[in-house]
Amino acid sequence: MKKSLLDYTLRIRLPIVLFVAVAVSVITYFVSRAERDGVGYAPVQPIAFSHKLHAGTMRIDCKYCHTGVTSSPNAMVPPASTCMNCHSVARKNKPEIIKLTKFYQDSTAIPWKRVHKVPDYAYFNHSAHVNKGIDCANCHGKVENMDVVQQVSEFTMAACLNCHRNATTQLTNVLNIKNGPTNCSACHR
Amino acid sequence: MKHVKMPNDKKYWKSLSEYQDEGASRPMKENEFIDGATEEFGLSNLSPISRKKFIALLSASTAFAMAGCSNYKDRGEIVPYSKKPENVTPGVANYYASTCNGCSQSCGILIKTREGRPIKVDGNPDHPINRGKICAKGQAGILNLYDPYRLRAPQYGTASGRLEDLSWQIADAEVIKKLEESVKSGKEIAIVAHSIYSPTTKKVLDDFSAKYPTTKIYTYDILNDENRKHAWSKSYGTTNLPVIEWEKAKVILALEADFLGTDGMTVEQTRKYADGRDIMKSKEFNRLYSVEGTMSLTGANADYRLCLSPDAQLEFVLVLIDEISKKIGIINALPLSGSLKSFMNKYLLDENIINHLIEDLLKNHGQSIVYAGNILSEEIHVAVNYLNEILGNAKLYHPNQTLTSLVTLTEPKEFENLVGKMRSGNVGVVIHFDTNPVYHFPIDFGYEQAMKFVPLIVSLVETDNETSRLSNFVLPINHAFESWGDYQIRTGIYSFQQPVIAPLYNTRQKESILLTWISGKDSYKDTIYHEYLMNRWQKELFPSLDRKVDFKSFWYSSLHDGVVEYDRAAKNNYSFNKGSLSSIALMQSTSGFTVALTESYFMGDGRFTNNGWLQELPHPVSKIVWDNYAAISPKSAKDLNIENNDLVEIKISDRKAMLPIFLQPGQADNLISIALGYGRRNAGPIGTDVGVNGNLLLSKESIAASRILQGAVIRKVEGKHELVSTQEHHSLDDEFVKDLHHKRKIIQEGTLGKYEKNPNFLHEEKHELFNIAKTVEYNGVKWAMAIDLNKCTGCNVCVAGCNVENNIPVVGKEQVGKGREMQWIRIDRYYSGTNENPSLSHQPMLCQHCDNAPCENVCPVVATNHSPDGLNQMVYNRCVGTKYCSNNCPYKVRRFNFFNWRDNLADGYYEEEPISLSHNPEVTIRSRGVMEKCTFCIQRIMEARQHATEQGKVLVGTDVKTACEEACPASAIIFGDMNDPGSEISKYRKHELGYHVLEEVNAKPNVTYLARLRNVNEEKTA
Repeated sequence: MKKSLLDYTLRIRLPIVLFVAVAVSVITYFVSRAERDGVGYAPVQPIAFSHKLHAGTMRIDCKYCHTGVTSSPNAMVPPASTCMNCHSVARKNKPEIIKLTKFYQDSTAIPWKRVHKVPDYAYFNHSAHVNKGIDCANCHGKVENMDVVQQVSEFTMAACLNCHRNATTQLTNVLNIKNGPTNCSACHR
Repeated sequence: MKHVKMPNDKKYWKSLSEYQDEGASRPMKENEFIDGATEEFGLSNLSPISRKKFIALLSASTAFAMAGCSNYKDRGEIVPYSKKPENVTPGVANYYASTCNGCSQSCGILIKTREGRPIKVDGNPDHPINRGKICAKGQAGILNLYDPYRLRAPQYGTASGRLEDLSWQIADAEVIKKLEESVKSGKEIAIVAHSIYSPTTKKVLDDFSAKYPTTKIYTYDILNDENRKHAWSKSYGTTNLPVIEWEKAKVILALEADFLGTDGMTVEQTRKYADGRDIMKSKEFNRLYSVEGTMSLTGANADYRLCLSPDAQLEFVLVLIDEISKKIGIINALPLSGSLKSFMNKYLLDENIINHLIEDLLKNHGQSIVYAGNILSEEIHVAVNYLNEILGNAKLYHPNQTLTSLVTLTEPKEFENLVGKMRSGNVGVVIHFDTNPVYHFPIDFGYEQAMKFVPLIVSLVETDNETSRLSNFVLPINHAFESWGDYQIRTGIYSFQQPVIAPLYNTRQKESILLTWISGKDSYKDTIYHEYLMNRWQKELFPSLDRKVDFKSFWYSSLHDGVVEYDRAAKNNYSFNKGSLSSIALMQSTSGFTVALTESYFMGDGRFTNNGWLQELPHPVSKIVWDNYAAISPKSAKDLNIENNDLVEIKISDRKAMLPIFLQPGQADNLISIALGYGRRNAGPIGTDVGVNGNLLLSKESIAASRILQGAVIRKVEGKHELVSTQEHHSLDDEFVKDLHHKRKIIQEGTLGKYEKNPNFLHEEKHELFNIAKTVEYNGVKWAMAIDLNKCTGCNVCVAGCNVENNIPVVGKEQVGKGREMQWIRIDRYYSGTNENPSLSHQPMLCQHCDNAPCENVCPVVATNHSPDGLNQMVYNRCVGTKYCSNNCPYKVRRFNFFNWRDNLADGYYEEEPISLSHNPEVTIRSRGVMEKCTFCIQRIMEARQHATEQGKVLVGTDVKTACEEACPASAIIFGDMNDPGSEISKYRKHELGYHVLEEVNAKPNVTYLARLRNVNEEKTA
């Protein structure tokens, strides 16, 4: 039987095309996953504030600035007045501090770029997690080593559930940790 | 050729014109396109853009759009405070005590704010009168603050009627100039205000009068208790009404008095009434008799209800006095038209009930209360005072606390004089002090016309209204949440008002405006009234309280508490003046219909008409929304040959109004009841032209007298106006559907006597229930609710509270007509009995959070499922909107978003700023196409869980209060952990009176209803 063009197309060409298409999609999907989930996202901030300097070198506690973290769902980005506790005297002549002082004196808010975000339909609660003994670094990574803060973990539902289901293996640093709730209303309402 | 009709020759037609005139439409049928549709075709008429060019443009615009897209990773900004206010943590609510000024009761409120914006209002738990509860108007009033229709700047009305914005400085200067001119030329300055309950506001007005000596202050309230006050002053020589201790009353006789709905301090009265019906505390209930013509909420709750037209009330009270006098052996000198017997025969009243009533009143000497409605005449109130006197009920008047009144309302005669003076040019300035007389005043006054003769009219208002439209200066004032104030309605208690948000717009507090005019045009500053208030307290009121602390500490602690209590005046002396009885004379009964102009349940005097939440709260009895109507008895309707929704013209002498008819079971014959507060001509996009203005029927005298008008003529007119209700009722005559709610055991009821004999009477016959699903164990906290139907009055406050807490959208009349209202909790109302004498049952219905929830099994995407703490969860972002769940729900409590409701109503009124500020940030705004329903306030559960974790404690059931539970004035709703054996809720769940609705479905609901017991007599005597 003579091989027809149609035969060739159906038997060889089509499977190859399909295979390549599927392979490209699958590989792209997995390779770009982290990128799409925002891992490595490190936006330029309006003031070049260094967590490495403040939290790392100077060992200022996270809660000194992010005061809401133990009492509110929001960890809270500190008001400029918190910065001015020190910077009304410290390093007053540095260009970044001059920028800061101007924001403070004009009573305008500093438009910090948001780094971490869960979608609006998920209600994450910092207080509930931190008061259970979970460390900031468990989700945010080693912020004390970052000059510019970047996202290190995925903030997806799968990532949330990974800990909520396997708390003891995922959060080895936390004593007596139990699995978190996995029902819908725990996050969505 | 003549077309012959053949039997099978069916004639189809597309339009009426086609049907009627075949000849004319024939050419149209023959042509494929209608005339002219293809004529224009020609190359020259085509677009000059070629196909290639079009594609090029298309791709270019796509490319530009792509280039314009921001970085997909961008997550926006986090904007922190620059200088964070102390005690404010983003994400944590702050609560401030204040005072509501939605009506005359001045309830203490607690305002919840998030990041500085008020999002929820509840009663102030420390307030001794309303004790943590407020009415539906108070709950929903928050929408008035965020009303986009509020005035944002002072305006000046020009000759063409158009308003122009102007600055406060110009307005102040102009008004002060005119005020001074008026004083110089001896012309009157008229301030038209409502009743004043704030002592310091009164002082401001007094100061104003001192500065401008030709000032005269007029006060009016359409909804007033003047008749009660006048009667009281005749009987007891003081206008200070007594505080009634309802909780001590064993027998309550309400005469055309809706004390659970509209008359007096309803929140307190509901609490005290319900307290006397708490099966958990005592098996002794109070007994409520209601004698009324209008079917009211109180009548719906009564153990015995007698249907009697308000015309006959005086006669009824007199025969009752006569009968009781005879029984206790005192001589009755009051006029009588006949004996009790003849009266009962004349009005077809049930003899048994009257006998029980008299027996009960005599038996409970000093422990009963007879209460006449605000709507009734002064004479009736005098007679009722006397009746209470001979029954020894003065014991129930609080011994050393009374109501206070700072001002007495202006007599109608004086308003007539005012109008006369306005017409003759003797009035230089009229100031409307947050009032709307053009809407309220009887047209007989001719107030609107007289306004044209006044050189300067100033209206101090929150939103534009009928009066401000005709004013020269329209000055916007602060909402209550932006205001300072002090209020007093009873001796011994002051209630404070403090702002919880800075004024949203360029508005000023109404007292500040007057103060500015007193002290000169440039004297205004933001704190002008705040300082005035504080000074006055420091100098005058604080010293009189004799406190051991300094003023500052006193002031801040009082603002914190929202209320100051002090030792009351000496013991009250209630000595009845028999001379007051001499004024009572029997009226000749008139022919024609009687019209009762009742207070609407949710509109107030019309000030809440632009509040969609309140417009959409169903009337507690008729369940009608977005309208008022003429309620008429089915028998009278039959006589007049009118039906539901028919328009009628009601005419009293030369005043008339046109309303739709509603057949109300239980309404007295020849009586029409119309709720006031509707029919606003200029109330904003929501409230304008909703319903009909009943004030049009008021006569000059009725502004300060009885709102019962006789001699009305009803005439059916062409047309219909469709009334929309959230719940129809079955025919009360049809044997098959009659009492279906009893037959299906949706409503289970008994009597106290029956319960005492056999506490387990509800559960005599049990279904054998099968379950094919496997039973799930609930080990931790398991949430459940109980609703005590003995306490529930059906007042709808829970619905209002839920609306605010859960961001429930308003859908509008048309959509309610299609059954698409979105309220998560509703009050079902069932009638049984006859049209003439129905008995009503109320039942709050919300998601029952069934253990075997039928909705969960049918969801194809598992968007609704069960949580380990017993909640039926609804996940919006998973829902695809099949509506299967709603279809399978036996309780019909699921609500579907057929539209984006906020966009759909009144041209997107609810998407206008700043309404988004009113939303609770802890609850998702649901979008079009998803199902929603009661969540048992999951956001509150999660908040309680967070606090428990913070404090290292275990979450307990009492940590959580749902919004409806918190709002319920009767405390009929109990929420908690049913797995905790010591908890309140588990007691309710185990109670003999507890039942589940549609138990035989075996959905295992987690809402338990406690069956209502009627406290009726025959069971005990039988």
